[in-house]
Amino acid sequence: MTALLELDGIGISFGGLRAVDDLSFTVNQGQIVGLIGPNGAGKTTVFNMITGVYKPASGTIRWQGNDITGAKPARIATLGLRRTFQTIRLFADMSVFENVRAGCHLAARQHWWQGLLALPAQRREEAELAARTHDILRRLDLEGVADTPATSLPYGVQRRVELARTLAGQPRLIILDEPAAGLNDAESAALNDTIFMIRDTGVTILLVEHDMNVVMQVSDHIVVINFGRKIAEGNATAIRTNPAVIEAYLGRDDDEATAA
Amino acid sequence: MRGFKLDGLKLGALLWAAGLALPFALDSSWVSIAAFFAIYAITALSEDVILGRAGMFDMGHAVYFGIGAYVTAILNTTLNVPILLTLPLAMLLAAAAGALLSAPLIRLRGDYLLVATIGFNAIFVLAMQNNPGGITGGSDGITGIGVPSLFGLQLESQSAMFWLDWVLLGLVLLVMRNLDACEFGRALRYLKQDELAASTLGVDARKVKTLAFALGAALAGLAGTLFAVQLSTVSPSSFVFTESVTLFAIVIVGGQGSIPGVLLGTALMFVVPQIFRGLAEYRYFVFGIAMIAVMVLRPQGLLPRRRSAA
Amino acid sequence: MGTFIQQIVNGLTVGGIYALIALGYTMVYGVMRLINFAHGDLCILGAFVGLTMLTGSAGGGHPGAALLLLAFVVSIIAIAVAGVVLERIAYRPLRKADRLAAVVSALGASLMIENGIMLVWGPQVHVFPSNLLPATTWHVAGATISFIQVMIILASLVLMAALYLFVNHTRFGTAIRAAAIDQDAARLMGINVNRVITSVFIIGPGLGAIGGLFIGIYYREAYFTMGWTYGLYAFIAAILGGIGNIPGAMLGGVLLGLFNAFAAGYVSSSWQDAITFGLLIVILLVRPTGLLGERVAEKV
Repeated sequence: MTALLELDGIGISFGGLRAVDDLSFTVNQGQIVGLIGPNGAGKTTVFNMITGVYKPASGTIRWQGNDITGAKPARIATLGLRRTFQTIRLFADMSVFENVRAGCHLAARQHWWQGLLALPAQRREEAELAARTHDILRRLDLEGVADTPATSLPYGVQRRVELARTLAGQPRLIILDEPAAGLNDAESAALNDTIFMIRDTGVTILLVEHDMNVVMQVSDHIVVINFGRKIAEGNATAIRTNPAVIEAYLGRDDDEATAA
Repeated sequence: MRGFKLDGLKLGALLWAAGLALPFALDSSWVSIAAFFAIYAITALSEDVILGRAGMFDMGHAVYFGIGAYVTAILNTTLNVPILLTLPLAMLLAAAAGALLSAPLIRLRGDYLLVATIGFNAIFVLAMQNNPGGITGGSDGITGIGVPSLFGLQLESQSAMFWLDWVLLGLVLLVMRNLDACEFGRALRYLKQDELAASTLGVDARKVKTLAFALGAALAGLAGTLFAVQLSTVSPSSFVFTESVTLFAIVIVGGQGSIPGVLLGTALMFVVPQIFRGLAEYRYFVFGIAMIAVMVLRPQGLLPRRRSAA
Repeated sequence: MGTFIQQIVNGLTVGGIYALIALGYTMVYGVMRLINFAHGDLCILGAFVGLTMLTGSAGGGHPGAALLLLAFVVSIIAIAVAGVVLERIAYRPLRKADRLAAVVSALGASLMIENGIMLVWGPQVHVFPSNLLPATTWHVAGATISFIQVMIILASLVLMAALYLFVNHTRFGTAIRAAAIDQDAARLMGINVNRVITSVFIIGPGLGAIGGLFIGIYYREAYFTMGWTYGLYAFIAAILGGIGNIPGAMLGGVLLGLFNAFAAGYVSSSWQDAITFGLLIVILLVRPTGLLGERVAEKV
């Protein structure tokens, strides 16, 4: 197993509050890793540091052994690291097709002047990327809504569109920020299948999730944080019985503990 | 959908081709108005690249229009450079100015960028008025700009100049249409809608925005050259802040990112006032009321961009 | 030394006027995130209304303090009403629309008011009577200070202090500040945001009318395009202090007035404006949120 993404002692503060402190964990190639923790534990902040939205105040983030700490989001994307957002961020005025096509941005080799002159090579590439987009739409069962304005769709479908958009970038690792939030039971179950399907195409997955059923069922490895610090790490069985985890959840939030 | 889009294109091509016949149907003062329409349409489309498509609040666009006009005026009157040569130079210098001025400001959000570009516009006009190095002619500007010649033919009649302007407008319209269907044009829209989401998809915001400013400025520089040739004179008053405001309003009133919208906006804001010259006193008063009315009744603009399908 | 003090007095006078007008920009921006491009024109409309009161009813004689006061009162009321009407017609319908629609609506309102002034009063420069105020001057350390300068400086200080107290120490002032931070949250807390916005369009243009009349009395002239020039200066002052921030607009106005006064001493007048705009751009580059504005992080 080779390490794809390594977090080594990263930390960040907001206005004196230590949101994440000395956090280390590793995501190996081909794994599905779950990051869990009670509300406000700092999970999304960790994602924002990995994807370059925030710059960690301390520690290093490595991608295949190379230091990428503090790199800008656009540079992170070039590594093949893509994410979804907890609050879905689709392009509102665009169709589902256009949104997923946006994920192909880095695959486009055309220069701006080729585009403005509509040269043959550029037209060819457009056709190729449109085909790739349609292929992904088919795989995620979105062909039927390709021309529909993305934000007019039900929440669950929008989540799938955002997922399709990350896949269009042919990522090595995708980071899913609460992919099951707002989904009904059937959609949530389908999500599990989708996550396995993505992993089977060779994509590594790191996810934050409140829905314990999803996390426990899909994750190979789980990292638990509370108040910005790691409190446990291991497979689903080990986490379920870990006293520190049980205390963190029972002590703070009963709903989540029963869900677990 | 596909068939309908093609019809829109065909209709546009037909209208453009019909426009070529205008000099046979109109007297020379109307041909001159049509020529100004073409020039201002190019300018407004160039503003649309920055404001309507990339979503950057540029309220100093007259600067690039002015740079184009002054470059042509200075090179032509002092060094006798022929117009067809000054034209690419004017575009290049305007593009460089657009990229340089915008580079430090690009990270500014919305209103701050708007205010900074207002500042650039004011400084540009003051600089032209103060005649630095004696090359801009101060408040009176520069007169005696020559006419373009093509294959040894002097394009000096009003009709010939109109055709030059009209052909260039046609080319700019083609470029704008291509912009919609290329990666660069789409990247502008991603950034306009959600810069953070766009950047996580790998869109390099700084590069794409600078390029948008450069392209918008280059097209404005082209229009500025045509403007200088059409009037055979340039002066600072043609590039004041009010002109930038008008260009800004054309894009918003017409419809952001919508080619027909911007063309309609240009006709309303630049051509209609020419028709009502007799009522000059009431013109801008009515204009202001019309701007409020259009925005209140149709905040998305008169001919908003259609949601494009696959 | 004499010129130094003279520049300070001149700068404070003009700065006080800028601050009075800047408050209108900043309060509207604070609550609505809208640059009210028509504000400068409203202020100059105030100068014209006041001028008409002064010249129309005096019949050529000495206007007298009572009439001067009446001119101010009528002007303030007229411009406050105009401000409220403007908000109802041109801005309120666009609150939920694309922000640029409101910007263009504001630009349209500016054109309408500016050219409306021209239609009513004509395009010529109007001269304010010279006998409005006592011609008393004081000589302090080589500088000459006129009665009008003292009046403008004192009046702006008093008005700014009053506004500061109102905004920071009354219930309604708290509502204004709350609405400026988060309109939706303020609404949930039971604050009537519509009333806050209306009040901002009374206070801002009301103070602006005073500023506009001061401009007329100080420079002894008024013309219809004046709103753009002075409006832009006041707007720069608001940016300098941090747009949306009330003490910032006061500080920005005074600093800009002083900056202009001193720049006038050293730079030729033809480049003076360019330097002011250069200053604006430098501020935006170095600290876009202005001197007293706070940085806001984007929520992800």
